[in-house]
Amino acid sequence: MIGEGDRLLLRAASLTKTFSGDGVVVPAVRGADLSLRHGEFAAITGPSGSGKSTLLHMLGGLERPTSGEIWLDGQRVDQLSQARWAVLRRRRIGFVFQFFNLVSNMTVADNVELAALMGGASRKQAAARRRDLLGELGLADKADTAPARLSGGEQQRVALARAMANRPALLLADEPTGNLDSAATFSVLRLLARAHADGQAILLVTHDSRVASAADRVISLFDGMVADDAPVGVPAPPENGSEMPLPRVLRLRG
Amino acid sequence: MPLLALLAKEPAHGYELKTQLEQVFGEAYPAPNIGQIYVTLQRLERDGLVRSQDVVQATRPNKRVYELTDAGREAVVEWVDKAGDGPRVRDEFFMKLALSHLAGTSDRLGLINRQRRHYLAQMRSLSELAASADRSIPRLLIEGAMLHLQADLDWLQRCQEELV
Amino acid sequence: MVGVVAGVVSALLLSAGLLQGATNPWQGLFTATRGAQIWLHLSPGTNVAQLRSQVGGIQAVAGPYQATAATVAQGSQRTRVELRATPSVPQVGRPLLVTGQWLAPRSPDGVVLEATFAQAIHVSVGSKIVLDNVDETARLTVPVVGIAETADQGFYPDQTPGLIWVLPGLLRRIEPNPGHTEEVVGLRIASPAADGFIVQQVVTQLGSSAVGGISTWQQVEQSMARRNPLLGLLLALFGLMALGAALLAIINVTSGRVLIRNADLGMLKTLGFTPAQVIVILTAEHTILAGVGVLAGLAAARLLMPVLLGTVPGVSLAAAALPGGWTAVIIGGTLGAVLLATAAPAWQASQVRPVAAVRALPPRGHLSRLAGTAMAARMPPAVVLGTRAAFVRKLGAALVISGLAIPMLMITIGLGFWSTLNDVQHDPADIGLAASVTVSPGTLTPARAGQLIQADPQVQAAYSCVRAEALTLGETTTITTLGMGTSARPYPFHVVAGQLYHAPEQAVATQALLTALHLSVGQFVRMWFGGVPVTFHIVGRIIDPQYDGEVLAYGRDTLADEGAPTPIGFYSLILRPGVSPAAAVTRLTRMSGGRLDVAQVPNPADQLGIVHVALASLIAVLALIGVTSLLTASLLGQRDHQRDVTVLRVMGLTPVQVRVALMMRTTVLGLVAVVIGTVAGRLVSMELVNAVSRLYGLGAGLGRPPSAGTLALAVALAIGVAALAGILPLGPSSRRPAAAVLGP
Repeated sequence: MIGEGDRLLLRAASLTKTFSGDGVVVPAVRGADLSLRHGEFAAITGPSGSGKSTLLHMLGGLERPTSGEIWLDGQRVDQLSQARWAVLRRRRIGFVFQFFNLVSNMTVADNVELAALMGGASRKQAAARRRDLLGELGLADKADTAPARLSGGEQQRVALARAMANRPALLLADEPTGNLDSAATFSVLRLLARAHADGQAILLVTHDSRVASAADRVISLFDGMVADDAPVGVPAPPENGSEMPLPRVLRLRG
Repeated sequence: MPLLALLAKEPAHGYELKTQLEQVFGEAYPAPNIGQIYVTLQRLERDGLVRSQDVVQATRPNKRVYELTDAGREAVVEWVDKAGDGPRVRDEFFMKLALSHLAGTSDRLGLINRQRRHYLAQMRSLSELAASADRSIPRLLIEGAMLHLQADLDWLQRCQEELV
Repeated sequence: MVGVVAGVVSALLLSAGLLQGATNPWQGLFTATRGAQIWLHLSPGTNVAQLRSQVGGIQAVAGPYQATAATVAQGSQRTRVELRATPSVPQVGRPLLVTGQWLAPRSPDGVVLEATFAQAIHVSVGSKIVLDNVDETARLTVPVVGIAETADQGFYPDQTPGLIWVLPGLLRRIEPNPGHTEEVVGLRIASPAADGFIVQQVVTQLGSSAVGGISTWQQVEQSMARRNPLLGLLLALFGLMALGAALLAIINVTSGRVLIRNADLGMLKTLGFTPAQVIVILTAEHTILAGVGVLAGLAAARLLMPVLLGTVPGVSLAAAALPGGWTAVIIGGTLGAVLLATAAPAWQASQVRPVAAVRALPPRGHLSRLAGTAMAARMPPAVVLGTRAAFVRKLGAALVISGLAIPMLMITIGLGFWSTLNDVQHDPADIGLAASVTVSPGTLTPARAGQLIQADPQVQAAYSCVRAEALTLGETTTITTLGMGTSARPYPFHVVAGQLYHAPEQAVATQALLTALHLSVGQFVRMWFGGVPVTFHIVGRIIDPQYDGEVLAYGRDTLADEGAPTPIGFYSLILRPGVSPAAAVTRLTRMSGGRLDVAQVPNPADQLGIVHVALASLIAVLALIGVTSLLTASLLGQRDHQRDVTVLRVMGLTPVQVRVALMMRTTVLGLVAVVIGTVAGRLVSMELVNAVSRLYGLGAGLGRPPSAGTLALAVALAIGVAALAGILPLGPSSRRPAAAVLGP
């Protein structure tokens, strides 16, 4: 539809990625379509090997699609050079990887501030942003530590802060709660929710249904293709006789 | 209900239904004995979901062949399309999955997707509930439910891998 | 690593060989020729048959060979020689054929010349020489069939006369009178240190009247070594550097290798190896690799030595043979260095935790103000990040810097040596060799000789000189002093301290002489010339390698004034620029009808070809070491940085910026190192030359700083390489897909 393209922050059409090497051909993504509106929060789920990470990497410009199109805010970006992508990422995209998200020879604070600086903030702004983000994530006391000394979960949270430091239009995250315990997951969700409320568009890959359920939409990937793409709605009222997940006692509160 | 779904494919008599049930479900589902099947069939007939006919056979005693009424067909469709809840839902859902192929009523992927969406919505409301729970016991209860839901979703994925 | 060890070993062996061959060839020659430590010239007919039984300690006797004095006539030039009749190839003191063949009956007139003599009179195999006997009653023209080296006699012209081996028949034809011959006997003794004692005993046995001349191996060795203190000096300097460079190389490569393998070592620990076992494994592995390297180096050195010497005149293969001790030291030292360099990192590696090692970083906090300000000031982020990254790990940075600074230091010193070398070669006046030709009146009167010389247009200036032997208190031998020019018109010595003599009784001296006589510039010394005392005031210091470096020079009018006898007079000629000394020699000889005795002053710089080669190769080796150390450092950093690179890309650094950042890492360190090394080197090089020069008795004043142009080039190259080293191993990685790099 004609008008819709202008409102979309991100649109991907028939994205394909085939890895070939050592005589083995691996089709990771086979014709995926998806779109994301400004300020929308979508989660991509699916079994491992379904191509989720690859898809996300393509959308962030870290992988070049074998075929297909990607449009970011009305601009076609799938064929951009690495240099152009870099500029794009500086200001408009934040990316959180599954592992090794931080520059190892800088402290936590430096990592976050650097991202902010690269996004165009002044030193003061960058420092303020860093304080804000780290505080939100409960990592303020680790600001001067080297990344190597943090646990995996802490590193991931810092990475999230880093990815959000430059206030990107689009936040892409690959399993941001992968290594986290329940409490840490909660703080991440809270941060994401707050950002979402502030208008941040988020597209994340997760196998944690709790995280997925917090999104506006859940895109289900299977074997390199989109199997389902639906908003997370309100649960249907329970029919008589079937059990709710919750014991009777709590149902009264609902 | 599974009998209805079986009949949706084609009319059959009691013994055939029993064989089909055994074939589809194998050891996982204890096959009801022929007596139970006939009782259920009669009840369904009484509810107007199936009708029976006697077929004359040359060398054998007459057998009673059952088939779905329109009402019965509708019921099957409704049943299949609706996502269910509770621990038994797994069995029911799996039944739907296994039988929908025979019933030809809806695609498996759609089935799975619908169930997943349902679970996700439930997860979301649980999540919101957990956020407002300020005492640990209720919160733990909610977390327990969420973990169960996660397990169900993971199982859903396994079904998708195997059957789609 | 094998390569580096091999390179180091072969370089050390080659350079030690060169050093040995050029400065003290005696040892090698002696071993190769199975030489005799004592040579006796005896009256004809002396019975030496019983010598072995009469005198203990004699292993073997060479000869007796009949010998006679003769002259070789070349045009007008007559050179004294000793003809030695050797019926067959001697077993002791066996001359080493360089070219041609030994004496054979089928060529009864054929003669074999000693190598340095042949070189001095420019005769080669195939030429014919004219032999006259002492009385000039017989003259024979004979073909030269071979040229050989010997350790029994010092190099010509340091030790005269030149040696020619002939067949007995030829000797008899030249000198039929046995009364004019001598018996030459060589003694190979078991204990070289006992030579003096054995000589005494031999003389006692044979009677002192029978003994005409004695020479011992120390004299020969010294003669061979003395030939070129300048050469010795330069090669010694080079040797120091080579040693340092070698150690550096090995330490660098070995420890770098260990550090790179940290991951594997962690794995070993996980598999259950104890720390001690890890150390053993590492050490064993490195020793084996080093061993292979050593063997390769030995082989390479053996192959390359003849090639190398082919480019260098005057040094023979045998002379360059290293005594076993040296080779063992070199090999042992190399292996020792490897073990040493393995020890510390090995111990550290054995402490590597089984889990992926967590690097302890000093938290720098808040993007260190400098970097942050630079970033905010919109300096290219890549540059800032790269520079910062270089210094994050202070120890690592220090290691890289020193790994490059030290080779740079030594290269600068080497370049300084090079300029010193060039200076000596092109400005021999600086070492007192302003004159390239000396002329003795020969059979002409001094006046006539003077006329001829002045008339020659090729001569720029001629100085009338005398050589006089003087005695001083406390010295048992005489000192050779030189009256060069007059006080009014002194020979243009290059004075490094004080001033030249301008008045009678003023003199200049070399450091060696001053040291020998315990004098310094400004003091007075009294000497006796034929009984006549003369007091000199030493007003200046010069550098002059002649006469063992001990030279006292003054205006010859001083002697005349004092009434001292002035014996040998000669002329020192400074030729016009561009005139070749050889041409001048020929010309003057011809002009005088052969009656002038014209000789070319040997310029020790002529033999410095070796040093050029050696220096050049050393500088190359050092450059290699520097590059290796840079690459190692870069490789180490690369592992750490591959993942950082991807994060930086995600943060928005373009591939170009990433490369710049990586390049900056090594470039910054390289810059610091190069500056340190070059500045220090420049300061040190002259001091070093002067220090060693003092050691060799030449005194200070020879050192020259490296040329600015070459230095600038070297610096630029070094920094360029540093920059390249930063990105070279990393080339493709800045573009690799993130997923591939960021695997778990």
